[in-house]
Amino acid sequence: MLFIIGAGALNLFIALGLSPLYEGIVRKMVRARIHSRTGPPIRQPYYDLLKLLGKENLQVAPGWLLTLAPQVAFAAVLLAALLVPMGLHRSPLAGYADVIVLIYVMTTAAVAVVIGAAASESPYATIGAGREIMLLLVAEPVVVIALLTGVVQTHSLRLSTLAEWQLAHGLTAPTAFAAVALFLSLQVQAGKLPFDLAEAEQELVGGPFTEMSGPRLALFKWMFWAKEVVFASILTAVFLPWPHIPLGLFGAGALAAGLAGTLAVMVNLVKILVVVALMGVVDAVMPRLRIDQALNYFLGLIFVALVGLTLAFVS
Amino acid sequence: MTSQELMDRLKQRFGEAIASAREPAPGAVYLGIAPQAVGPIADCVSNEMGARFLITTGTDERPLPEGGFRVSHIFSFDQDKLFCILQTRVNGDDPEVDAITPKVRGAMWAERELFDVVGVKSRNHPDPRRLLLADDWPAGLYPLRKDVPFDIKPEPDFSARPQLAEPPEGASVLPIGPFFPVLEEPAYFRVFVEGETVVGCDYRGFYNHRGIEKLGDSALTYNQVPFLAERICGICGFIHSTCYCQAVEQAVEIEVPARARFIRSLMLELERVHSHILWLGIAGHIIGFDTILMQAWRIREPVMWLCEKISGNRKTYGMNLVGGVRRDIPKEDHEEILGVVGKVEREMAEVIGAIVGDTPLIMRLKDVGPLPEKDAREICVAGPTARGSNVAIDSRIDHPYAAYPEIGVEIKVQPGCDVLARTLVRLEETMESIRQIRVALHEMPDGPIMARVDAIPAGREGVSVVEAPRGEAIHYVLTGDDNHLYRWRVRAPTYPNLQAVPTMIQGQQIADVPISIGSIDPCFSCTERMEVVDTRTQAVRVFSQQELLELSRRSRR
Repeated sequence: MLFIIGAGALNLFIALGLSPLYEGIVRKMVRARIHSRTGPPIRQPYYDLLKLLGKENLQVAPGWLLTLAPQVAFAAVLLAALLVPMGLHRSPLAGYADVIVLIYVMTTAAVAVVIGAAASESPYATIGAGREIMLLLVAEPVVVIALLTGVVQTHSLRLSTLAEWQLAHGLTAPTAFAAVALFLSLQVQAGKLPFDLAEAEQELVGGPFTEMSGPRLALFKWMFWAKEVVFASILTAVFLPWPHIPLGLFGAGALAAGLAGTLAVMVNLVKILVVVALMGVVDAVMPRLRIDQALNYFLGLIFVALVGLTLAFVS
Repeated sequence: MTSQELMDRLKQRFGEAIASAREPAPGAVYLGIAPQAVGPIADCVSNEMGARFLITTGTDERPLPEGGFRVSHIFSFDQDKLFCILQTRVNGDDPEVDAITPKVRGAMWAERELFDVVGVKSRNHPDPRRLLLADDWPAGLYPLRKDVPFDIKPEPDFSARPQLAEPPEGASVLPIGPFFPVLEEPAYFRVFVEGETVVGCDYRGFYNHRGIEKLGDSALTYNQVPFLAERICGICGFIHSTCYCQAVEQAVEIEVPARARFIRSLMLELERVHSHILWLGIAGHIIGFDTILMQAWRIREPVMWLCEKISGNRKTYGMNLVGGVRRDIPKEDHEEILGVVGKVEREMAEVIGAIVGDTPLIMRLKDVGPLPEKDAREICVAGPTARGSNVAIDSRIDHPYAAYPEIGVEIKVQPGCDVLARTLVRLEETMESIRQIRVALHEMPDGPIMARVDAIPAGREGVSVVEAPRGEAIHYVLTGDDNHLYRWRVRAPTYPNLQAVPTMIQGQQIADVPISIGSIDPCFSCTERMEVVDTRTQAVRVFSQQELLELSRRSRR
């Protein structure tokens, strides 16, 4: 119980408290640098959230779905954060939920975006929601297949078992395929270029978020930043769990275990930073693809992921 | 074909219908024709002889001895370096003339505008809706008629709505505009879509109509107009003041000193360089590639500083007057100009290399926004939009002006007919402009920069074109009494190019609509200062550029 509370607090802190920091670092250190700009201060995303949360909650269309959708999306990502290990060897809710739940929860977040868009009654939001669904239909299989690859190898539906198996067996070919496929699909999960088609400010004025403002917009923004960190954690903690820092690294005793745990969390934070920074680079050097081009890309990616899955079955 | 051959051929063909033919200045043939012959002659000139339609001008000449309304259709024979102006006169308070749009597709907007501003109705026009005036402007009030004062203010009617086409069966409407993130000025494309596919579109624009022509031919004197003309565009203003001055100079035969012509060409090419790089940035932004935007504008900035050093202003140089220019470019500045353009050339070469080798970028540009050569010719598009569709026109070659005969122009044409082709044309032209700047500096002769200008006689006409970054701008003037113009007509290059947008986006994906619109480089404007109103005290504080810079820098640290 103590572990659930402690690790849960830690994961929520990383997903909620640190995800804007990651966003700020990527904006300032990656995007702005590639653009030859000074860039906003690193703490800017926190200011953005505070400003938006303090604004009036405008009711742009009738119905309670509009209010519910951002809350559901936000809650879903928070729940997902509790299902993924972030440095410690187990996720907070490891004993209660498995990979299948994680997939459902993540999909719920995306579906909530679509529902919010439909409820806002804007033509831009409608088209954006259509694109979101199409992307969801092709991007989600990549994640599912990547996770399945691990499941097939370990015969377990638990993320922590997956990570332990990696540590025991080293990097196998199926895992490498799965990790690459997962990484390449991260851009769409985080709503970043070249796959920010749903939002597509220059085409659809923000797509599903066209009519979102104030606290609703804040929740959606925060949700995307947190989602990015959660997905990066799946990659770093489950598929690439190196370097391994066992709790007994500094010897026996609670203090030593605490130190080792802290170090493990820190290392994972750095790994997440590397992943989101790489995503930031991709975001800065790519144009937005058209929906047909994006779908083709993901069909290729699904194929790559399937190769990994097949290899996992064979071995 | 010489001008004499043109006059002879048309006289032979149409006989009596051509009442007069004259060539007051070399390169411009004015034909006075009977109203009923307008259609057939325009058809012949355009479709048989291959002239390109430029613009239509209506003039209220009721106060003049001839009386009535004069309608002038201006055509260009690009290969022969000739303008052909078909003029006819119609009388009455509700005058009508046969529409030429059924035969000359490019005249569509020009004839709609003709009715809007002077009230000459085009008979059998396929789409006679209001084009230029505001939706609540009273019917029957034609602003360019001489009995309408320039400062008239009709009562606003907030219930007025534009007449817009309804979507076809099964299609829904995606509004792009009147305000849209990537269109930096108001324009309303009502796009009809089926899913993600565009099946049609309607356009309502001219929200920025400011009555500049009216102001120019009523309230201002000859040498005030250049400063107003320069403010027509927020990016390429110098082309308008040059074009206006050239039209007046042609009308009253003023010989502009060679040095002034070189300075004009130099400034025009500097303007093209910064305009094309600006466009590149915007195009990158439209497809979500902000790195191109940021880098392109960083490369562009020194050109703006250079213009500020030469003219005192980043934009709106205020250098042109009828008869020459007001500011010299001293020898000491030459080295700096060469340095700046050299750096721009190096950096742009890198950018061009990166763009050409970027597969995802090419995917977003190739075969997007197609404008086949046939449509490009029919709609009479201009500039890079035309040259990207394999139409080899460039007014610097077709109607030489300023110092271009001495400097030389290498025309850049691409056969792709898509956004990629238009992009490549602009990129190559940027490099060509830098070459021209070098030649202009090297060849610039010494001497005066201003011609002596005596009183300008009334009743003279002049037509001039200038190749703006977006295509050719056209100015037509008719001189009047008391140091005032009688009629001033401006056609900016976006005017024909915008009419090609429906063709470009037909059958395309929604995602390609903004970049297709952007690919014609519609004009953008920007302000360099802003006002802050304190809501408690209602005090207005105007920040200077320096203060704004400091504020923005402080906030970033």
